[in-house]
Amino acid sequence: MTDVKDSKRSQKVVIVPCSGIGKTYGSVSREAAYVVTEDVRPDDTQLVALSMLVLGDESARAAVAANPAITIDGCKLACATKMVQESGGRVAQDFAVLEVYRRYKQFKPQGIAELNEGGMQLAEALANEIAGVVEKMSSSPAMGDEAIKNGAAQGSSNGGHNG
Amino acid sequence: MVDLPKKKVGIVACSGEELAEGTVTRLAALKVLEQLRPQETVTICLPLFLAGGEGDRAFARFYPTIAVDGCELRCAARATEMYSGKPAASIVVTELTAGAGLPRPQGLRRLDQVGEKAVALTAARIAESVDELLEQRWNRSVGQAISLSIDSGQVENQLVVPVVSEEPIQATCSCGSGIPVRTLVIEDQPVTLIALPVIFEDFRQQGKLPGEGTIRELLDTVKIYNPIPAGAEAAYAESLLREYAIFCADTQAVK
Repeated sequence: MTDVKDSKRSQKVVIVPCSGIGKTYGSVSREAAYVVTEDVRPDDTQLVALSMLVLGDESARAAVAANPAITIDGCKLACATKMVQESGGRVAQDFAVLEVYRRYKQFKPQGIAELNEGGMQLAEALANEIAGVVEKMSSSPAMGDEAIKNGAAQGSSNGGHNG
Repeated sequence: MVDLPKKKVGIVACSGEELAEGTVTRLAALKVLEQLRPQETVTICLPLFLAGGEGDRAFARFYPTIAVDGCELRCAARATEMYSGKPAASIVVTELTAGAGLPRPQGLRRLDQVGEKAVALTAARIAESVDELLEQRWNRSVGQAISLSIDSGQVENQLVVPVVSEEPIQATCSCGSGIPVRTLVIEDQPVTLIALPVIFEDFRQQGKLPGEGTIRELLDTVKIYNPIPAGAEAAYAESLLREYAIFCADTQAVK
């Protein structure tokens, strides 16, 4: 029989970035998601593609249903956050790239296909904030519950929003 | 004179972040939008079919659309058909690269050389499709290519699509502002009509006042972009006339 605590610990935080194609902030959101899931917290996080949620893909829906999600939106339409919610998932915290940029105005992002240095630095800064939230969530047996709220609250002070 | 939307081709890339082929779709779409066919193409983010408004969901009906997918799941093609309209063309990167004898590309964030070749190959295929679709006649009211079997009068009616001015060469998505829409109440039901705000503005600028003399032309123009059920023309005409009068009054009041 699987211990509930172990089960909680085996969860991975789902990272869902905006799939924006025509805006710089969309590219920043995607790059930040890659930094988190490949470089900073590869063992605690998994990337879920927004297009699969749009299609209603079973594996993508199962991933967001079983794990807390952190969404990264590139514009005010907040597609990533809305799609996770509509797919039956729970957004532990959502980040809006524009709000993050307001805190790191020294990193001015430009480019879409290829981000400039400022865009890459902004993505790194955003990824570090996300990693901080993941750290709090992962270190608690009650991952996805109260610990998320506490972590998210701190994240919110950095510009993220509680889901 | 107000410019009504020009005929362009829509591109919807799956942009799948989990696969290198998803990155290929995004970069290939951008190459077409910015370099190969900048004046003839527009794009929209796939999630907006659900997260956006009526104008976003009208995208694939309004523009003949090419779905560009990274893998056989075909998220872009299937979701576009489910929520917007049947894509006019569908391209799958894995099929394209296999056909060209290329191995699978690597690198989600930074594509390898194979990935770069795949981008070039996919972009070229998209551009070919754009050219093919631009040669076809497109019925915006039903979102299909016009068959030559339709009588010529009907075809002419569907083709009155004025040209817009040149636009800057930078890929921009159509999120939230792609296609102007306005919702009317027709026979006690809300009906969202594509392009109605620009049609109204066009008529107003031409000095066509709300009245019986205008309504037939207004109805015909609206029919270019919207299906009107058989037998409902009178109700549409009445509602359009009422709404156009409100539009003109509001515009006058703002001035």
